[in-house]
Amino acid sequence: MSRMATFLRFSSSRVSLISFTLLLDKPPGSSLPLDGLAAALVHIQHRLYQMSLQRTLKAYKFGIVNYLNALKLQERLSGERKAGNIQDTILSLQHPPTYTLGKRRTDHNLLLTESEVQAMGAEVHYTERGGDITFHGPRQAIIYPIISLRAIGFGARKYVEGLESIMIEVASLYGVNAHPGKAGETGVWVGDRKIGAIGVRISSGITSHGLAFNIDPDLNYFKHIVPCGIRDKGVTSLRREAQMQLPEDEVIHDQLIQSFAKTFHFKDMQWSQGGLILPADEIK
Amino acid sequence: MALKLWASSAANALKLSSRAAAPFPASSISRCFSSVIDGFRYSDSHEWVKHQGDVATIGITDHAQGHLGEVVFVELPESGTSVTKGSGFGAVESVKATSDVNSPVSGEVIEVNSKLTGTPGLINTSTYEDGWMIKVKPSDPSELQSLMDSKEYSKFCEEEDAH
Repeated sequence: MSRMATFLRFSSSRVSLISFTLLLDKPPGSSLPLDGLAAALVHIQHRLYQMSLQRTLKAYKFGIVNYLNALKLQERLSGERKAGNIQDTILSLQHPPTYTLGKRRTDHNLLLTESEVQAMGAEVHYTERGGDITFHGPRQAIIYPIISLRAIGFGARKYVEGLESIMIEVASLYGVNAHPGKAGETGVWVGDRKIGAIGVRISSGITSHGLAFNIDPDLNYFKHIVPCGIRDKGVTSLRREAQMQLPEDEVIHDQLIQSFAKTFHFKDMQWSQGGLILPADEIK
Repeated sequence: MALKLWASSAANALKLSSRAAAPFPASSISRCFSSVIDGFRYSDSHEWVKHQGDVATIGITDHAQGHLGEVVFVELPESGTSVTKGSGFGAVESVKATSDVNSPVSGEVIEVNSKLTGTPGLINTSTYEDGWMIKVKPSDPSELQSLMDSKEYSKFCEEEDAH
């Protein structure tokens, strides 16, 4: 066994430097040349390198971030992630009062005119995410993971189920018994009241947008929309459902991120407070 | 653990059977049997191409639709648009997630499947027939050679699901 280990180490140091760069250029799905042990060693090195790079989650924490700023940041990060320049990343923040629509542009579910929305100090944005209309505002935890689903072999359904389970887990920390929606009603519910919403975009296997978990937002804003296009169902918040006192919002944000890291099998986490440059012309 | 990982990767590289190294969790058993059609070509982003004469019909695979869940919305380009191999031409929505769909070949869109506007679920129920998305006149038919055949694609799916 030890002689084999020595041989492997010796061979790998000889071939790895040259062959490593060659392997990185290979398009995925193509076959490797059958040059015996040398090829296998290089392949193993590359896989280990890929794996160590990809299974750390980098978390950035922000305060209140304008919706468009956050969108531009996500676009930049998902481009970088697709190019393999950065590792899996997750953003934690809140938004000022904002109504958003998904790719289907279901603005018949917005029960106000744009000027009425502006008069109440809110914004409206159309996005490329899935899902219907929703509201984001202060005291609602926003989590935007920018991760590679291809790297973990997940499809949209499994990813979204993971996001649901994170919110359910965090709700349970406060004694709240939440559950996923029925088929076709993605999201997290307490009884027939919605506590958490999901809207995701997957582009070239990289996720953006994510989840919105109601800690204690002003629920009146939801009166002006048909939330997620589902009539006759209410919205709720952790504050309304929990019997116990809630900690600072930041604690709940952190719990969501930790639950995410666990659910998606990340080995390590790196935390950063802000630290990313938002598009300068939009910072208010 | 590391040695088992090395063994599995080495086996892959040397094209030996590596089934013993990666036991399938129960939840992925249905994905083992995702269907493929012989004669079609496949991309690593799970799109299929049927090439007949100078028409390439494109859709997403059974593996893809299974991982997506029920498709509720499909966004397609207009006829006459050009598409590029590896770039997005449209999107599908399922479970509140929009997923970009990439073209496996370059060329010009000559027809889009308008039935998908009213019945997007055709992608789930008739993945390789009525669920087709676009028809393209390929600008470079040799691009098809670099796509996977049904055997290679099946293996690719197995490896992806074994994560």
